[in-house]
Amino acid sequence: MKNTNLLLIGLFLLGAVVLASCGAPLSGSSWPGVSSNGDAVYVAYMQHVYAIRATDGSMIWRFPEKAGRQMFFAAPVLADDQLLVGDYENVLHSLDPNSGVEKWIFTQAQADWIASPLVVGDVILAPNADHFLYALSRNGSLLWKFETGRALWAQPVSDGEVAYQASMDHHVYAINIRTGQKIWSLDVGGAVIYSPTLDPEEGTLYLTTLARNLMAINTQDGSIRWQRKFEGGLWTQPALHDGRLYMGDLQGKVYAISAKDGTEIWTQKVDQPVTGKATVLDSRVVFPTEDGSLIAMTLEGERLWSRTFEGKLYTGPVVIGDRLAVGIAGGKEFLKMVSLDGQDLWTFVPPK
Amino acid sequence: MWDALIISPFINTLLFIYNIVGQNFGIAIILFTLLIRVITHPLMVRQIKGAQAMQELQKNEKWIKIQEKYKGDREKLAQEQMALYKELGINPFASCLPTLIQLPIIFGLYQAIISALASTPLDLLRLIRHIYPGLLQVESLIPLNSRFLWMDLGQPERLLIPGLNFGIPVLVVVVVISTYVQGKLIATPSANPKDQTAAMTNMMNLYMPIFMGYLAYTLASGLALYFVASNLIGILQYAMLGKVNWGNVFPFLSKQPASASSGGKKSYSK
Repeated sequence: MKNTNLLLIGLFLLGAVVLASCGAPLSGSSWPGVSSNGDAVYVAYMQHVYAIRATDGSMIWRFPEKAGRQMFFAAPVLADDQLLVGDYENVLHSLDPNSGVEKWIFTQAQADWIASPLVVGDVILAPNADHFLYALSRNGSLLWKFETGRALWAQPVSDGEVAYQASMDHHVYAINIRTGQKIWSLDVGGAVIYSPTLDPEEGTLYLTTLARNLMAINTQDGSIRWQRKFEGGLWTQPALHDGRLYMGDLQGKVYAISAKDGTEIWTQKVDQPVTGKATVLDSRVVFPTEDGSLIAMTLEGERLWSRTFEGKLYTGPVVIGDRLAVGIAGGKEFLKMVSLDGQDLWTFVPPK
Repeated sequence: MWDALIISPFINTLLFIYNIVGQNFGIAIILFTLLIRVITHPLMVRQIKGAQAMQELQKNEKWIKIQEKYKGDREKLAQEQMALYKELGINPFASCLPTLIQLPIIFGLYQAIISALASTPLDLLRLIRHIYPGLLQVESLIPLNSRFLWMDLGQPERLLIPGLNFGIPVLVVVVVISTYVQGKLIATPSANPKDQTAAMTNMMNLYMPIFMGYLAYTLASGLALYFVASNLIGILQYAMLGKVNWGNVFPFLSKQPASASSGGKKSYSK
């Protein structure tokens, strides 16, 4: 009797510990955010932001030096003399890109910084999961804030005058950057996870929704130019190149779609969920898949090469000259540099 | 396997309830907790009966004699105890087996709530994959409305009061009190003052509210709401079965303060 009761109490305590660990925050809540200025690669992943030499993968600095509660996932944004990066403790940081020293912080947001900010002239547009788009000056003081119905997970895009912000509340908003006033909004029928893609010349926004729609929206008035429903779920941002949109779906198909009218130009099966934005180079397109593969194709859909990494890919590689920086989630390594034909150049190993 | 058998059905049931109660996730958590408690009620009854049988066994003369006689020989003691269980038709695991069966359900419920409150992109991708397309529509469901009363159920709860520059964790206080009260109310008195189990139970009744309070303070308030709902429904279940010792919490209700003691403390058995 006593033994069985003790066993029960032990199991209960074990269970409590399991419950506690279930709620332990964010070990794999997102993927590495990668950006570059050509010389350095900036990576936000887990408890640090890293600056890494693009030539050999050696570390220049990391922030913070000692790991704390902060978690970083949104790709850092370089704006002249500052590197902007938000964390999952509601703080937006401005760092010196050369040294990693903190210049200022913005602490008025109430939730995670899941999306990267966008810098337009002197204005920093920073979307937060607390439903607000914050407009800040270059020294981090608040200019205005714009409220949407739900969390903002997508980086805004802009033509220089107007910011286009997609929200989890199923809407896209056009906002005057100077005043913070809404110009128009459009119900797109589903939450938007990834940023829209802007074609400023055509005045068109392209975006995907959780309602499995790819949409083209007129930036002048927010009217829908065309939309196309997909069989598989869409977890990607369409990549625009030369009048075509390249993207994939969660059923493992990749597509080239006419940006003009949404008609399918070609489709190919890759048999793995395509998660993240494709990267388009001059003559090829590289798709990231959830099983950790990069699949390179010609712009006409012929497979050139594929390369599988240990981990998962939720964003396309970042092009740095004739190399590709690949951010990998959930693997032993989280940043690799490969050549344009997928050969390893270096792997970043963070110092202990 | 775990995901397919427990987590996915739980998530879909939770979200189905969420949909039919007007997309209120707080109400959905409370109703889902109630549903799970109702489904597992027969197991709880069996557990109580098993525990009661074992409790009564402590007073059995043969049992007491065996304890005395073989207190230096644990192997022989175990053999004699088993023989007595057989003779009296008692299953010593009757009280713990139902609890063991309930544990995966409780963990599943907890994980389902965590998963449904997806507050980051990868959590949301996982959630979408759990949803049965024939039952629920992702486009109308996502994002979930995580607002309930003053809380964002995906964030730790703090009540902001004008004039104070910090939030008050009201739900944490409710979790601590309800966990403590539940523990005290369902504690059964032990006739044996040296009963290690009773001492252990008393210790659990003290530390569990603190531990649950810590979880409620640090984790999403949706879970704290689940803890409160689960505690209150649990108390109600025990009350309906007539197994609540109100005198443990309200001594003025105690009718037999001196005769029934548990771990040296006064208690009342209904």
